[in-house]
Amino acid sequence: MTQGLIDPREPLIADEKSIAVATLVSATGSTSKKVGTKMIVGESGRLLGGVTIGGCVDAQVVEAADALLGQGGRCMLSISLDDDEAWEIGLTCGGTVDVLIDRVDVRDTEDPIRAAHAFAREAIARDESVVIATPLDGRAAAFVLTENGVRHGTLGDALLNERAAAIAGEVMTSTSRVEEIEHAGASRKIFFDRQAPATRIVVIGAGQIAMSLTKMARELEVHTTVVDGRDRYATRERFPDANEIRVGMPSEIVAGIEPTKRTAVVLIAHDYKYELPVLRALLRSRVGYLGMLGSKKRGVAVRALLKEEGFTDAELDRLHTPIGLDIGGKTPPEVALSILAELVAVRSGKRV
Amino acid sequence: MTTFRAAVLEHFKHPRNRGPLDEANASEEGANPLCGDRIRVQLRVIDGVIAEARFTADACALCIASASVMTGRVRGMSSDDAMQLDIAVIHRALEGEPPAGRLKCTVLPLDTLRRALSKPRPEAS
Repeated sequence: MTQGLIDPREPLIADEKSIAVATLVSATGSTSKKVGTKMIVGESGRLLGGVTIGGCVDAQVVEAADALLGQGGRCMLSISLDDDEAWEIGLTCGGTVDVLIDRVDVRDTEDPIRAAHAFAREAIARDESVVIATPLDGRAAAFVLTENGVRHGTLGDALLNERAAAIAGEVMTSTSRVEEIEHAGASRKIFFDRQAPATRIVVIGAGQIAMSLTKMARELEVHTTVVDGRDRYATRERFPDANEIRVGMPSEIVAGIEPTKRTAVVLIAHDYKYELPVLRALLRSRVGYLGMLGSKKRGVAVRALLKEEGFTDAELDRLHTPIGLDIGGKTPPEVALSILAELVAVRSGKRV
Repeated sequence: MTTFRAAVLEHFKHPRNRGPLDEANASEEGANPLCGDRIRVQLRVIDGVIAEARFTADACALCIASASVMTGRVRGMSSDDAMQLDIAVIHRALEGEPPAGRLKCTVLPLDTLRRALSKPRPEAS
């Protein structure tokens, strides 16, 4: 389920005639999942994803989804996280979650949810964010707005679409949420589901840390490109989880990559022969994150060399070095974990 | 060794003939497969004479210094003479030899140049 969107090519989905799509539309309390997170339940009982980190809530969603697949339609579940038994022994999380469940006919291209997700997937493939607006009541419907203002689908009424488009524009740079719209004398609750292209990590250096990093990044649904000048290192056998492997001159390869704010470049070759040329190519680009493996002393030396070449302090300050959060790790998987942790912290605004 | 080191660093920080060569009619990329040095040597050869030579590299200081010296030396040389160019000439220009185990770094540009000249090439326009 790439990017929280239904993908009919996904093996679990491809085999099903219809599926139930459960979406976390709002949450209070300490749920760890983001609003917009989805779980898919197939007619055969198979599950993909989850709207909470597990336990009794997902179980209730699966039960409701199973029922929906039999009878059709859609439903809203409001589930308290203050489970009685858990409360007694002090293990409750607290709060509530609201989950919208839609039955989607996977093979019907006219199905509004399926069609909206197909349109959204195409936009994301073009590196555009989208917002999908779906009413929480009434019949299934979906209206999609892309980052570039292209629209798809309908909520059933042109005026309602206009109002939804205005809110979707705001949500595009924010987070998914439910909004109430007064329309035709009634209040309509609409869920605005923001979906953005995947964060991409370009890993320079195909060593042990890179091997661990690409494995963990896959779990985080982050797209990875491994770059190295050495074809004996940058191999599919060593990097089964990497989305892409590129062998060549690293500075030329990164110069050819679209430097979006969602692109992170991590220099973990620990070799100036790649670090300096790649930094020269990227310090003035729009790339969202630039990090380099190495000690503080080494970082100072690299900055000094680049400053001699004319890079400003502001440009050099974009470089995160030593790379990663300081979690005291030493082994390649531990260092990879610290790098990914820093990337998550930067992406969520917890770290600049 | 101090002099050699200074010469290498000077060429590394201020490489001559670095960057792509427009209208090259001979080009080759070379790599040291384990250390990762990568270099592209581009030449413009007119009537058997090297009119222009440039290089692009993500490589160590030794490799870049060697390429910097080499591209300067071969300009104006016949391709036959350039094929015979000895690594010792480049080492002399750098006032020394690389440490044991790093010879491959200084040899890579020359090896790549020879392979570029060995390939059939179109006439320079």
